[in-house]
Amino acid sequence: MTTLPQTPGPRQTASTEKPTEGALLHTEMLSLNVGPQHPSTHGVLRLVVDMDGERVSRVVVHMGYLHTGFEKTFEHRTYQQGVTYAPRTDYLHSFGHELAWVLGVEKLLGAQVPERAQVIRVILHELGRIHSHLVFVGTGLLDLGALTPLFYTFREKESCQDIFEAISGYRMNQGYFRVGGLSKDAPDGWEQMVARFCDQQERGIQEYLNLFGQNPIFLDRATDIGIISAEEAIDLGLTGPNLRASGVPLDHRKNNPYSGYENYDFEVITTQKGDCLDRFRIRILEIEQSIKIIRQALARLRPGPVKDPNRKISLPPRPELETSMEAVIHHFKLVTEGFHPPLGEVYVPVETCRGEVGYYVVSDGGSMPYRVKIRSPSFVNVQALEYACVGAQFADLITILATIDPVLGDVDR
Amino acid sequence: MDPLTPRQDASRDVTPLMQELRLTPDPFAGSLSEPTAVVEPGELRHVALHLKSRGFMLMDSVGIDYLSYPQPRPKRFAVLHNIYHPYDHRRIFLRVWLDDGQPLDSLSPVWRAAHYLEREVYDLIGVEFTDHPDLRKILTPDDLEGHPLRKDFPIGESPTLFREGRFLDPAAFRAGLSGQDGGLTGWRGSLRRGSVRDMVPPVMPEGGPK
Repeated sequence: MTTLPQTPGPRQTASTEKPTEGALLHTEMLSLNVGPQHPSTHGVLRLVVDMDGERVSRVVVHMGYLHTGFEKTFEHRTYQQGVTYAPRTDYLHSFGHELAWVLGVEKLLGAQVPERAQVIRVILHELGRIHSHLVFVGTGLLDLGALTPLFYTFREKESCQDIFEAISGYRMNQGYFRVGGLSKDAPDGWEQMVARFCDQQERGIQEYLNLFGQNPIFLDRATDIGIISAEEAIDLGLTGPNLRASGVPLDHRKNNPYSGYENYDFEVITTQKGDCLDRFRIRILEIEQSIKIIRQALARLRPGPVKDPNRKISLPPRPELETSMEAVIHHFKLVTEGFHPPLGEVYVPVETCRGEVGYYVVSDGGSMPYRVKIRSPSFVNVQALEYACVGAQFADLITILATIDPVLGDVDR
Repeated sequence: MDPLTPRQDASRDVTPLMQELRLTPDPFAGSLSEPTAVVEPGELRHVALHLKSRGFMLMDSVGIDYLSYPQPRPKRFAVLHNIYHPYDHRRIFLRVWLDDGQPLDSLSPVWRAAHYLEREVYDLIGVEFTDHPDLRKILTPDDLEGHPLRKDFPIGESPTLFREGRFLDPAAFRAGLSGQDGGLTGWRGSLRRGSVRDMVPPVMPEGGPK
């Protein structure tokens, strides 16, 4: 124990009698508040940690600081307007939530998504995964005290956002997918931009690994920390990389393919131990697999329509409005009212970078959903903190929180 | 291949499982829904324990208020548990019908995942779960009364009441948005406090638009 420099406090001056040494030496449980404005909580998450010395004995999670009632808002917006809200839940992998939303509504409507739109969706879905994993690696290592890797991963992250901006106009919260396809086609030269990014990202991974892959401080702080066994992970409802790090090969891209994922050749990465190091490794390896998928998708990309031709679902092309009365009517009805899916309840799971995302959509036959329930993986994954942190040191709690990788928009919705 | 057609995969068919557990299929589940079984509130935990012993995991709990649904439903509330097998990829929804105020057995003793999920259903829909270790609000602020995802929760024109008498008055809120008034947020704050005279004319002239 290091002794702190003595400062004369009011208590010492007020007491007439100097306390004996034995009276000062006692142990008690310490309740420590972390957050909500703590940089390592990656948003606004508040933890109340009961500590016995340096060991964590209990973690109580307080959330809801970002709760803005998305599910209620969905009930008062048309289905197409829901695309605005879906990406804002998980702002690091926006395309995952957008895709889950439009796939659910498309299932209700029976919309036919053209091949080109599906391939572009796959590319953006995977780029979004890379984007989020890069933020994970950068900020995760920042939480461990490694400042430099952040600048390397954010270099590629910015390139990723340039691609998003080129195709949709937005760097974040794109809202680019539409029920029945995409809002517009990719601009000229976009494929080359993505291809260049794939090469850049591959070199980038080597650089990251050179930076921290063999770093003894990193390895010491991540190895055997926060182990979650496969049984516990299933019990806690973990999905995504956190579950696969514990050795359960569940990946909806493989197991419940959507948007044509059955046509792509990629591996589902699993690791066996389920500690923080595995959760780091699995994301690096998943970036490699995503690059593989993007390259295959670029090879499959052919010119063609990007919207369902059904005028009851997609807006008519702008020039048609000047010549066709029907087009004007369709445009007006779609914009003011939207489409009316039949009564029913659907759920389509999608594998995002955090796990299973699915929108449980209840339709009452109107132009707005009756009820939308977002299965957000971060919300469920955060429960693992209460399990994995017990017995760990306080510094490990930061590592565990970083590797579980919650996004607080996704937790609170 | 049409990606939206359900894939015919015999190993994912949950009909044998439902027969084995003597579950009744949901009569309201349409062709688009995932396989859904209706469970009596008293049997839910028993069924869940069986599913857990077969390796299923709890993915999600969905609370739905059918108050204003156009078709009649047996009861006002439904809680759906989304249950998935992580190795053989079967998915089944368990639906429980509940009246207002009727408690439901918690699944927390079965799956730890139910802990937060049920707290969320409790917070937003207002279904109480018996034997839940820590049934508290989870997402909404502590001083918000009511359950926002109920269909009769006041929104829009009705003022949103908080405990201690705080409330949002929609008319004042809209006046603030249109520039007629400092409104609730008082974004022209220094003007409202009287430190500066308000020289800016209101956006909307008296008597409506010309």
